Amino acid sequence: MAAAPPFPSEPPACWHCGQPTAESHFCPSCRRLQPPGGDYFSYLGLPQKLGIDLPEMEQRFHSLSRRLHPDVFFQRVETERQLSVEAAAFLNDAYRTLKNPLTRAEYLLALHGIRKNDPRISGAPLELLEEVFELKTTLDQIRDGDETAQPQLVQAREKIQKLLAEADRALDEGFANWDATGQRQTLERIAAVLTRRAFLRKLLEDSGVEPR
Amino acid sequence: MAEPEKPLDHHNSPRNVGSLDREDPQVGTGTVGARECGDVMRLQLKVNEETGIIEDVKFKSFGCGSAIASSSVASEWIKGKTLDEAMALDKTEILNELSLPPAKIHCTLLTEEAIRAAVQDYKAKRAGRRASSPTKR
Repeated sequence: MAAAPPFPSEPPACWHCGQPTAESHFCPSCRRLQPPGGDYFSYLGLPQKLGIDLPEMEQRFHSLSRRLHPDVFFQRVETERQLSVEAAAFLNDAYRTLKNPLTRAEYLLALHGIRKNDPRISGAPLELLEEVFELKTTLDQIRDGDETAQPQLVQAREKIQKLLAEADRALDEGFANWDATGQRQTLERIAAVLTRRAFLRKLLEDSGVEPR
Repeated sequence: MAEPEKPLDHHNSPRNVGSLDREDPQVGTGTVGARECGDVMRLQLKVNEETGIIEDVKFKSFGCGSAIASSSVASEWIKGKTLDEAMALDKTEILNELSLPPAKIHCTLLTEEAIRAAVQDYKAKRAGRRASSPTKR
């Protein structure tokens, strides 16, 4: 999910005519396609907000897709044909990442250097881990039991679903807060909720219920 | 002549699965988690106060067989070692022992973290006792 390298500090220049491109998809001077770069938000012409106007994004995606499609470039020189393949791939990655709110949030966190470390070993709070551990232990015990344990299983699943719903609400709040204030600590809060949600979701899967 | 440990062995018959009494002042408890796969692991060690040697190790891990195998290997190794030696255990040693597929390499990191958390918990408990203050959980 890494972004392409950011544009260098000097204004980027067109590979064909040398004029400044102002980070456009196509050179303003000679109209040649430029290599994809920058972040997914700007490539789709969107602000770095977590609340996205999905229909607008779809429209931008489709419009850009048509302009970047490799077939459009079949008569151009090799360089530009190759660039169209890269650009289309980058556009698809951008769209897929930003369309889903969870991957959108994770991507924004990465852009701001949060959770740069191995994402698989989390800095999850001890209380969360202990809670998950106890829930898993309970689930195991219930599963090893007989049918009389079924109500307990249902109860445990309901508890997990409730915790998941709370996490979703916290995420919604976090998104709105980020869009309104742009504060880094909001991102850190979102990171914590995403971690919590990931554990809870997995817990729900393990307990045999389709997570929402 | 001992046969080299096979990965299958640690997967199918993991060593040292279980738990110790976390209230026991000689026991350190570490609980760690991996966000992507949602695995949580608890590892506990019982330390001889006088010698500082790890006498017993128990762990409980949910889900991933590779995490269980990693901890099975590591728990055998750190028995009889000092706390410092246990802290120095590097995940690459576990990796070499088990030949895990690349997707499961992070499981060895989980084991390494669990051991360190357990050692730190033990040290904190001990420091708390020496200062005659209630241990913070």
